[in-house]
Amino acid sequence: MRAEAAMKKRATSALGETHVGAANVMATPDANVRFWIITMLLVLISLATLKLR
Amino acid sequence: MLLALAQWLAQDVRTFSVFNYITLRALMAAMTSLMISFMVGPWMIRKLTSMKIGQSVRSDGPQTHLVKAGTPTMGGALILTSVAISTLLWGDLHNAYVWVVLFTTLGVGAVGWVDDYRKVVHRNPDGLSARAKMFWQSLIALAVGFFLWQHASLPAHTELIVPFFKHLVFPLGAFGFILLVYLVIVGSSNAVNLTDGLDGLAIMPTVMVASALAIFAYVAGHAEFSKYLGEPSIPGAGELAVFCAAIAGAGLAFLWFNAYPAEVFMGDVGALALGAALGAVAVIVRQELVLFIMGGVFVLEAVSVMLQVSYFKYTKRRYGIGKRILLMAPLHHHFEQKGWKETQVVVRFWIITMLLVLIGLATLKLR
Repeated sequence: MRAEAAMKKRATSALGETHVGAANVMATPDANVRFWIITMLLVLISLATLKLR
Repeated sequence: MLLALAQWLAQDVRTFSVFNYITLRALMAAMTSLMISFMVGPWMIRKLTSMKIGQSVRSDGPQTHLVKAGTPTMGGALILTSVAISTLLWGDLHNAYVWVVLFTTLGVGAVGWVDDYRKVVHRNPDGLSARAKMFWQSLIALAVGFFLWQHASLPAHTELIVPFFKHLVFPLGAFGFILLVYLVIVGSSNAVNLTDGLDGLAIMPTVMVASALAIFAYVAGHAEFSKYLGEPSIPGAGELAVFCAAIAGAGLAFLWFNAYPAEVFMGDVGALALGAALGAVAVIVRQELVLFIMGGVFVLEAVSVMLQVSYFKYTKRRYGIGKRILLMAPLHHHFEQKGWKETQVVVRFWIITMLLVLIGLATLKLR
């Protein structure tokens, strides 16, 4: 019963928001900055569509 | 390198002409340096850890930093390698400015590398002496200044441009120009090094300033844009956008590993070299004062140390007891002592840099 509850809890956090999952394996500031970096890259790729077509 | 290949292929397949565009090559340079740093980073951190190349923490610094002792350092070597490979791949190797900035970056990087190596591998706490470090930095900066003076083809290439004023320029002459180049390169190199005291504090402003300098370089190298915006036209300077983009890409990837709590520090090899690189680009595109604005955080950090040391020495000589202006220098430690968390100091300094970079970019239009 306890193992089932633990599994359910683990599944819940793994399926929750991505930042919660990331914060489980790294420090919160680390997760924040890495998500910012990913956003910056996505913004750059979007801006590149101005020229690359 | 790839530009020459693309130009050769474009003789048969016109599609390859797209690589003549600096904007595309800058984007590719950023992506290349980013990917190199991402792929090599984890391996390098493991290697540095196994070789026990760990940072020693100053005993007179904040007590909260003592836990950082042993964190792998000299990660700047990864940034420099990525930037050099990316620039050599995507830059125009017939362009003299590309070689000037590579020479400056790798030359000053070598000075920082020797300093780091002596400190962490030979366990010599003094590393390279301050005098020797300054000598090599000065030699490189003076060589760059002399080369740029010789290479200048128009008076505008050696004048000091004042931001926000369209017609306010100061002709410098040979001595003034070389002195300015020296002060900007050596000053920015040491200022970035002093800023590199908290996780991610130096690298993100470096990325932001390098990105802005890429825009300035592109404008300076573009005859029509420079004329329209009233900036000096510097043929060939546009290639520096590729170099700056490579710094931005490598810097972002490095931040991935350097964000709090840092897995690796850049060390002097990274900080001294990146500062010198920003200075070298700024003097080539004639934006020294704009660099002063955009790199305001670096300037404040350097000034805080100079004021603290000068005031301490003055009061010790005058009153027999040394007094301090700040709780601790450089400035970021002062705010930590005031109770700000390390991450708060870092992000707030990033925000200030963002605002300063925006002001710097505004000088393109507002004059």
